[in-house]
Amino acid sequence: MRPGSLKTMPTVVVTGIGMVTSVGIGRNRFWSSLMAGRSGFGPVRSFDTSSFGVHLGAEVTDFDPRDYVVELADQAIGRSSQLAIAAARLAVSDAALDLTAMDRNRVGVCVGTTSGEPHFIERFDDHYVAGSLDRVGGEFITRYPCHVVPGHVAMELGLAGEAMMIPTACAAGNYAIAHASDLLRAGRADVMLAGGSDSFSRITYTGFARLGAIAPEVCQPFDRNRKGMIPGEGAAMLLLERKEHALARGARIYCEVAGYGLSCDAHHMTAAHPQGEGAARAMNMALQTSDLSPSDVDYISAHGTGTPTNDRLETVAVKKTFGKLAYKIPISSIKSMLGHTMGAASAIEAAACALIITQGQIPPTMHWQDQDPECDLDYVPNVAREHKVRVAMNNAYAFGGNNSSLILAACAA
Amino acid sequence: MRVAITGAGLISSLGDTPALFHYALCKGHTGLHPVEDGRFEHPISRLAGYIGDFKPDTYLPEKCFRALDRTGQLVVSAAKLALESSGWLNDRLNEHNVGLVLGTTFGSVHTISKFDRRALTQGPSCASPMDFANTVINAAAGQTAIWHKLRGINSTIACGSTSGLMALGYATDLIRYGYQTAILAGGADEFCFESFSGFEQAGLIYKVTEGAGFPVPFEERRTGFALSEGAALIMLEEWDAAVARGATILGEVRGYGSTYDPRRSNGSGTDAIVRAIQAASEDAGIAISEIDCISASANGSIHHDRDEALAINALWNGRSSLIPVAAIKSMLGETLGASGAFQAIDLIETMRTGLLPGIPELERYEPKLPPLNASRKRQSVHARCGLVNSVGFDGHACALLISGPEKQD
Amino acid sequence: MEIESIKATIKQSISRVTGIAADTISDSASYEDDLGLDSLSVLEIAVEVESYFKFQASDEELTSIRTVEDTAELVRKRLCAQVA
Repeated sequence: MRPGSLKTMPTVVVTGIGMVTSVGIGRNRFWSSLMAGRSGFGPVRSFDTSSFGVHLGAEVTDFDPRDYVVELADQAIGRSSQLAIAAARLAVSDAALDLTAMDRNRVGVCVGTTSGEPHFIERFDDHYVAGSLDRVGGEFITRYPCHVVPGHVAMELGLAGEAMMIPTACAAGNYAIAHASDLLRAGRADVMLAGGSDSFSRITYTGFARLGAIAPEVCQPFDRNRKGMIPGEGAAMLLLERKEHALARGARIYCEVAGYGLSCDAHHMTAAHPQGEGAARAMNMALQTSDLSPSDVDYISAHGTGTPTNDRLETVAVKKTFGKLAYKIPISSIKSMLGHTMGAASAIEAAACALIITQGQIPPTMHWQDQDPECDLDYVPNVAREHKVRVAMNNAYAFGGNNSSLILAACAA
Repeated sequence: MRVAITGAGLISSLGDTPALFHYALCKGHTGLHPVEDGRFEHPISRLAGYIGDFKPDTYLPEKCFRALDRTGQLVVSAAKLALESSGWLNDRLNEHNVGLVLGTTFGSVHTISKFDRRALTQGPSCASPMDFANTVINAAAGQTAIWHKLRGINSTIACGSTSGLMALGYATDLIRYGYQTAILAGGADEFCFESFSGFEQAGLIYKVTEGAGFPVPFEERRTGFALSEGAALIMLEEWDAAVARGATILGEVRGYGSTYDPRRSNGSGTDAIVRAIQAASEDAGIAISEIDCISASANGSIHHDRDEALAINALWNGRSSLIPVAAIKSMLGETLGASGAFQAIDLIETMRTGLLPGIPELERYEPKLPPLNASRKRQSVHARCGLVNSVGFDGHACALLISGPEKQD
Repeated sequence: MEIESIKATIKQSISRVTGIAADTISDSASYEDDLGLDSLSVLEIAVEVESYFKFQASDEELTSIRTVEDTAELVRKRLCAQVA
């Protein structure tokens, strides 16, 4: 069955963005880093990597939760919640939305994640191994399960609409934004904060290192010599509302959430479908729901992790969807600068797309040196570029074969 | 578009078919037992709904299950049963992209912990790649899609014990707005030492005093819930497509509502529950007075059982004793992410059989609570429309309205 | 350690990970083509073997093993290197 166009439904727009990343906290610093090609990589500081064969990460080093967590006790919540709260506050401020004037029952939160609050399970495990489980305490259940992240955002901001966690791993941000936009179209909420958050995790790092997926020196998506991704952390939240609601309060509109596509490879837990079949279906569904053609797309924000397999198969999927047009559409990966921020990644990338549309510039894929014959598209190597973008497609893929494509488009007046 | 219910599958401590499950509940059987399984390194000090005799090869013969952890095995098995029950066999699955939306609290905290502990004790180079694939919370949904070739929208919802009901609501909207024609939706959580230990240390598991424990909904002496496990999935389909393929229609999802209580102080949860039920009522276009029975979320929790009773009383204008209420967690225990889906399946059975399970261990209904029409024994009901309630242990509330198959256009 | 003993250990690992009976696995059977194993299963087997024989294979070595025979040869080389 072909999903119908969303054009007959109310238009959902982005009026605020907020992010906490290894290359900057807040819209201005984040954007200037993307344009300057600035990376957030460094030796991992959160835990000891001396018994690992790899040591690089993209951690957020200048974040003080006390700047953003005001209502809750910042030390009583996990880092992913702190990052999400900060991104949410920044988005609300960016949208110039006065929450006190809103019916809080009509404002909700939707967050995506890969690990939730990993530090609490890591501490549980430290106690387990040390034989001191009796010291874990009640905090484990009240701070660990991943639904606490949207819950903490809702508690901090006093929001009483739906508070949902969609933990679809490395595609989760797109899933959260998609769901939030549906809630608004259906009239279930008036404002939604949607995005993703993940904090640096020993478990995640161990797993990807074990799979041989972490690059030893540099993250260079689509490059011939790419050796893997570099795990990172961060959060981004987008403030979404129906267009007439935004216009009525005189909000500045970045773009609209034109549509989305989701699919499942049903093929392998950690490797994408070899013909890019599921990813192509997600892209096509996004185009159908947006009522757009492949030729309407001006820019693709790639999943682009930097692993040999992802980048090759993602290129296959883009060519499958766009045919020869694929060679005309610039496609870049900001993971080349931010690393892979897991569940936050596609939310950060969606926020970047909102800026790309309003600024008319596209960020580069950094550290690109040598062309891989199997990755021969225009990846915007190393230098940001002026490029009018009316329609941006944001792609993200996850373990479990979860594929997502989100389309953001310049909003007609 | 209308959303039809065309089948269901479940793995529970009270049986693995909807009819057997419902029968056991109506007979007042308990799914809570002492847990003395050797796979738990530490003792489990309470009765629990651990399904000790669960064997995935009962449902999926001649397969190797090493790649699946317990949560994955539960979901893959429940999905097999749901697909068979709704007539979605291989040929049809090959021609259509069926979706899957799974609610879960933890995914598998046991797998995550086991992976981490092995790396801690033996070094990161000894970490298990297969276990790592299952540490993501959406692993069971991904594994189930691989096993059953479900290539449609695949999503995971994690909102504590409201996850399963929220998954049903999420899937309902995907069908209503034309994104998918058929979706398996529901929830799962496994019983493991890690979660039991966590809930116990938080004081949420029932306490045993004077030799007795009361994980009994609305009971005056209740002190908390009994932890349980299971997987429950319902096949939801776009109505006209279901009719066109000759599916048996078991019921219809009419609407849902989902809210959060940001204040989280004791006594404030009632408002979130009231709003969720009102939102479901508005979404469904069904007045509160048209609801014939309620499947309550109550599980023996001191605060949340009270909040739910107060909410029901408020919505029924102080006449809460008129509406028949079931509280199946009295026998099933708290299955977390699976709970809402279990309740929905039992409600569909109630609409079929005309029987609403009782609360067999309820000796003294808490006198401070407004009276509910909830008795120890099962009662006869003629239910055309029922409400399923899910109340989270930290702030979430969800409500879903279902009508029976005899609803006419 | 005798090469036959190494092969037997490897086959036990394969059996644990895949459910395939150890005595049905031939030395030359290809993991992917004959046994139908995916990349995650092969990696899991490699990790078990590394853990048992107490060595760590490089990424190149990991991607080069295709059969029981070449896995056993890798183990033998590493065990000799440990003793040397």
